[in-house]
Amino acid sequence: MKKYIYIFIVAFAFHSCSAPKGLYSWDKYQEASYGYLKKADEKSIDNIMEQYQNVIKKQKGTRKVTPPGMLADYGFFLIQRGDLKAGREHLNKEILLYPESKIFIDRILKLVEK
Amino acid sequence: MKHSIYLLLSATLLIVGCGTTSKLNKAQAYKGMYEEKPVSVLIMPPINRSTNVDAKEYFHTTLNVPILNAGYYVIPPFLSMEILKRESAYDSELFIEKPSLKIFNKIFGADIVLFTIINKWDKSSLASRVTVEVEYILKSTHTSEIVYSRKGTISYNTSISTGGNILLNMVASAINTAATKYVDVAKAANNYIFTDLPKGKYSPMYGLDKEEMAGLKVINVRLPK
Repeated sequence: MKKYIYIFIVAFAFHSCSAPKGLYSWDKYQEASYGYLKKADEKSIDNIMEQYQNVIKKQKGTRKVTPPGMLADYGFFLIQRGDLKAGREHLNKEILLYPESKIFIDRILKLVEK
Repeated sequence: MKHSIYLLLSATLLIVGCGTTSKLNKAQAYKGMYEEKPVSVLIMPPINRSTNVDAKEYFHTTLNVPILNAGYYVIPPFLSMEILKRESAYDSELFIEKPSLKIFNKIFGADIVLFTIINKWDKSSLASRVTVEVEYILKSTHTSEIVYSRKGTISYNTSISTGGNILLNMVASAINTAATKYVDVAKAANNYIFTDLPKGKYSPMYGLDKEEMAGLKVINVRLPK
């Protein structure tokens, strides 16, 4: 029994030096990104949109703020699905939260208006 | 005897986990990063020189999270992919040697651009081991200089144990290797490479990690997982 406890402690030490508590929580966002890039079908889009909502609304990271890019990419998917209004709102929220995104997001907003 | 085996095992694990430091601190090793204080990062599609056709996608989707976790702004990955495709700029080979990267600052507002090159992405099915060799290069869009570069060979054991049954183990690991485990390998490679990245604006450690020892430029990791 003692040996197993020992192994656990070692495993924990190993784990803790490479993964301290993060700025953001990601849920299954990365898996969903891969699924979308690979398939780009309706199901994979549903899946990634659900993950954006989790990352945006249920943020458990130490910053307690939506991570960069998430509002904008979510807005992009909303626009692709035809919800222009909500899409634009999310793009504008990205600029508010991260002003460094303005150059790029303004460009996208112009494309959407065309 | 048994005790010494555990000791040896734990020592190996610790070396694999936190070893590999160079003699430079981060301020010396990544001078450009501290001088330019980049905020915004554009991720370019990986350059795939391996024989695995899927490696590019596997790898691409794992790159933004570790850079965000280090405290940087990463240009929204799917939106940027869309624009790069529209501008016929989706092929990173066209840009990696370009003398000027100012265009990425103009269009994306990016301070630095991440190029990655997958040199090797091999699977040995008998040993259920995946070996990847990947190069990461961050270049400034203001000076076009390399501000961070590391290369890693990560060998990852993808087998999962189903108890003592050897045949069952072989079947399980064959299935396992075939699917999502590739994403885990990519994540493992990123973890090792980006642990050294000086922390960005959104990290509480921003500007406070200059004295930390930098890791080696070329790393070799065998994950016993």
